[in-house]
Amino acid sequence: MVLSFLNMAAEEAVEHSTGGAGFILEEVSDHVLVKLPTVLGIDLSITKMVLMMWIAAAFLIVLFGVSFRKKRLIPKGWANLLESVVLFLRNDILHPYLGENTPRFSPYILTAFFFILVSNLLGVIPMGTEATSNISVTATLAVFTFLIGQGASLKKFGVIGYVKKFVPPDIPFFVIPIIFIAEVMGLFTKHFALAIRLFANMIADHLIVVTVIGLIFIFNSYAAIPVSIGMGVAVELLVILIAFIQAYIFTMLSAVFIGLALAEEH
Amino acid sequence: MLLNVNPGLIFWTVVTFLFLLLVLKKLAWKPILGGLESREQWIKDTLDDAEKRRREAEQKLAQYEQMLDQAKKETQEIINNSRKTAEMMKNEIVRQANEEAMRLIEKARRDISLESEKAIEEIRKLAVDLSVEAASKLIGQTLTGSGHREIVKKYIQEMKLS
Repeated sequence: MVLSFLNMAAEEAVEHSTGGAGFILEEVSDHVLVKLPTVLGIDLSITKMVLMMWIAAAFLIVLFGVSFRKKRLIPKGWANLLESVVLFLRNDILHPYLGENTPRFSPYILTAFFFILVSNLLGVIPMGTEATSNISVTATLAVFTFLIGQGASLKKFGVIGYVKKFVPPDIPFFVIPIIFIAEVMGLFTKHFALAIRLFANMIADHLIVVTVIGLIFIFNSYAAIPVSIGMGVAVELLVILIAFIQAYIFTMLSAVFIGLALAEEH
Repeated sequence: MLLNVNPGLIFWTVVTFLFLLLVLKKLAWKPILGGLESREQWIKDTLDDAEKRRREAEQKLAQYEQMLDQAKKETQEIINNSRKTAEMMKNEIVRQANEEAMRLIEKARRDISLESEKAIEEIRKLAVDLSVEAASKLIGQTLTGSGHREIVKKYIQEMKLS
């Protein structure tokens, strides 16, 4: 309810964006860059977010491709840095939450982490924006986590075992339906929250930066420039920190949810 | 507007992400995780090997110490045996020497007593002869014949007895 209200308010603001703060919303919304035909009701146009995702993907492919061109027992330079990040993720996220299932899910978890991290950081670059500040992107990633976790759970426990996992053992008979509904809702809610958390954090980052810089135009005065730039730099530094934190949180929670879906005991 | 879900963007996200996943899996995750795995395995193997060698060395040391102990014990035994044998031989030699000495002393004693008896016999004979000669000189006549000699021998026998 609150979200749809926000949505309405946002649309209202854009409609009345003649001279006020409308450009802020303009800045964080998506734009079509290359118009492509609509196939099966899906508009395949290349938008700004798609371009940012491609830049992130290309950057990662080049980075890892160049760093790990040569195979060494002891990595050097970039390979060393990237490897220590991978090692950290493996030892602090994958192994604790996924245990012996680590090898199956590590490609997804690692890709999600680096993709989200680079996407988040691209928002700091001028003209750039965070692909992760779009709900479609974060929702897709959350759905990936949902499908991977629940799919693995179904495969492991079978349909009956999967459904049984929603009801904790040793509870009175008459509360089973309530618990079951609550558990199913909880399952959807936590993945929904996963998408919203990342999206909201990144769009908030972007909005703050744009707003702080936008103060110059709102006040329409040179005096606002040093203040705006100073605050802008401070906020951007915070944004870099948040980029890392949110990538870590999304990745860790994904691992936790997948791990929970595969846990034997309720 | 901010929460509008764009199906096209979802499509591109899925495509981009899956493409990135596949490329990075081949390009990065496999070599990195494989490298980490093999390095950890190598470290583990090396440590295991070192541990094994250490245990072997300890075992060998214990073995050598045991052998050394054994050798020491054997040496001690040999020394003790030799000492005992030497003692025995010494005792034997001393005993034999003693016996020999005793035997010699005995023989000497026998010889001496034999000799002295012989000498006494001779002295006695000489004494008889001298006595006879003296007596015959004294009484002016010669005591000859076995009858006289018997008398003198009897006297001397009595002399010896008294």
